[in-house]
Amino acid sequence: MATTSEHVATSTESSKSLPWYLIDLPRYLKGFGLLSVIYIGLRLYQGAFAVSHGLDSTEPAFEQYWMRLFYVELVIITLVASGFWGYLWLSRDRQLDQLEPKEEIRRYFTLTMWISIYTFAVYWAGSYFAEQDNSWHQVAIRDTPFTANHIIEFYFNFPLYVILGGCAWLYARTRLPLYAKGISLPLTLAVFGPFMILVSVGFNEWGHTFWFREEFFAAPIHWGFVIGVWFALGVGGILLQGVTRLIELLDKIEDAE
Amino acid sequence: MSAHIPVSTFKPYRGEKARLARAYDYLILVLALFLFIGSFHLHFALTVGDWDFWVDWKDRQWWPLVTPLIGITFPAAVQAVLWDKFRLPLGATLCVTALLLGTWVTRVFAYHYWNYFPINMVLPATMLPGALVLDALLMLTNSLTITSIFGGAAFALLFYPSNWPIFGMFHQPVEYANSQLTVADLFGFQYIRTGMPEYLRIIERGTLRTYGQYATPLSAFCSALLCSLMYPLWWHIGKWFASTRYLTKI
Repeated sequence: MATTSEHVATSTESSKSLPWYLIDLPRYLKGFGLLSVIYIGLRLYQGAFAVSHGLDSTEPAFEQYWMRLFYVELVIITLVASGFWGYLWLSRDRQLDQLEPKEEIRRYFTLTMWISIYTFAVYWAGSYFAEQDNSWHQVAIRDTPFTANHIIEFYFNFPLYVILGGCAWLYARTRLPLYAKGISLPLTLAVFGPFMILVSVGFNEWGHTFWFREEFFAAPIHWGFVIGVWFALGVGGILLQGVTRLIELLDKIEDAE
Repeated sequence: MSAHIPVSTFKPYRGEKARLARAYDYLILVLALFLFIGSFHLHFALTVGDWDFWVDWKDRQWWPLVTPLIGITFPAAVQAVLWDKFRLPLGATLCVTALLLGTWVTRVFAYHYWNYFPINMVLPATMLPGALVLDALLMLTNSLTITSIFGGAAFALLFYPSNWPIFGMFHQPVEYANSQLTVADLFGFQYIRTGMPEYLRIIERGTLRTYGQYATPLSAFCSALLCSLMYPLWWHIGKWFASTRYLTKI
C-alpha cells in the first residue's frame, strides 16, 4: 500500500487493469484468502485431533497436540501484531496537509478494506468458533481453560481480530487527515469495544472455576462478551464519516475539472 | 465536530463517479455481511442461544418470549442507520439473514460434522417473516412510534407460527419407558449433553404447563409487549453508536 503523498503518481499507475481507487483490491482479496486458509485449516486440525487427543488435558498427547499449538499461536500473534502495527506506524504519512483528493479517496477505499478484513476475522471469532465452543462443551468435560476449542478461539481468533481492528484504526490515524486531526469516536468504539471481549475471557474463565456447568450458553457469566460486541455497531458511524468525506472529495475533484 | 452531508450534492452520479460509488457499495456490502454475522450471532448465542441450539429447548413458555426479544435488538439498531441515513429499508432483513447464515454454517460444521449431533436436533429457528414485516412497516410509515408498536408486536407474534412448519413435527407425542414425551424430548435424552442437569431444570418450569394450549400465545403476547419497548431502545442505541463525532482525546 502506498503510504505517503509523494507516492500518488506511482500508486495510480501501478495497475493498468484496476481503477485507481481499487489499487489495493488484490491485497484485500489475498487477505481474505489467507485468513480463510488459516481458519479452515484450524477447523480441520480440530476435526483430526480434538476427539483423539483433546479430551483429557492431563494426557501427554494433549501437551503435544494442543499446548504446542497454543505456544505456536502466541509466537505468531506477537509477530503479526508487532509487524503490522510497527509497519503502519513507521510508514505513516508525515505530509498529510499536502494530500491530493484522489489519493485521499483511494485511502478511504483501503481503510474500508482494512475494516472489512477486520469484520471477516470478527465473523470467525464471533460466529463460527464462538458457537462451536458450545458444541464442544456439550461433549467434553472442561478440565482446563485451554480446551481444544479455546486454544483456537480465545488465544488466536480473539487476538487476531483485535490486531486487525488495531490495523484499521492505525491506518486511519496515520494516513487520513480527518482521522489524524481528531480521534474518530465510532472507529474507536468499533475497535476498542470488541477488544474488551478478549479481556472478558479472564472474567469468563475465572467464573468457570466456580461454575463448571457445561454449558448453559446464555448464562450471565457470558454477558461480558455480549456487551463488547455491541460496540461493533460503531461501524455505522464510520460509514457515515466515510461517505460524507467521499462526497466532499468527489465534488472537489469535479469542481477542479 | 461532526459530519454534515451537504444537500447540494444530492444529484445522480455519472461516469467514473458512479463507478466509484458502486465499487464502494460492494465493499460495504461484504463488510456489513461479515460484521452482522459475527456480531449479531455472538450477541444472540450468548443471550438466547440455548433455545436456538437444541430442539428440546424450543418450548412453549420461554422460547417464544426470549428469542424475538433478543432478536429485535440488532435489527432496530441497524435500521436506525440504514433507514434514517440511507433510506434503505432492509436493516432488519439484513441482520436476520446474516444471523441465519452464521447459525446454519455452525450447526452443520460445528455440531453435526464435528460432534455428531443429528442436524434435526440443532436446526436454527427463523425470524425472517418478522424482519420483513418490520422493514416494510418502517418503509411504509416512516414512523418510529408505529414501527415500535405494530412492527415490534408483529416481530414477536409471527415468530412461533413461522417456525411451526419447521419444528411442529418434533412436538409429536411418543410413549417411552412408560412416560409420555415429545420427539424433541427424546432427542435430548438420547444424545446426552454435559449441560443436562441445568437443561432439564430450566425448560417449562412452573405452573404454566397447566395452561395447556394457552401457554404459547401468552408467551407470544408478552413478547410482543416487550418487543415494542425493546425496539425503540435499540433504535436509539444504534443511533448513539453511529455517532460521527471526532474527539480531541480519548
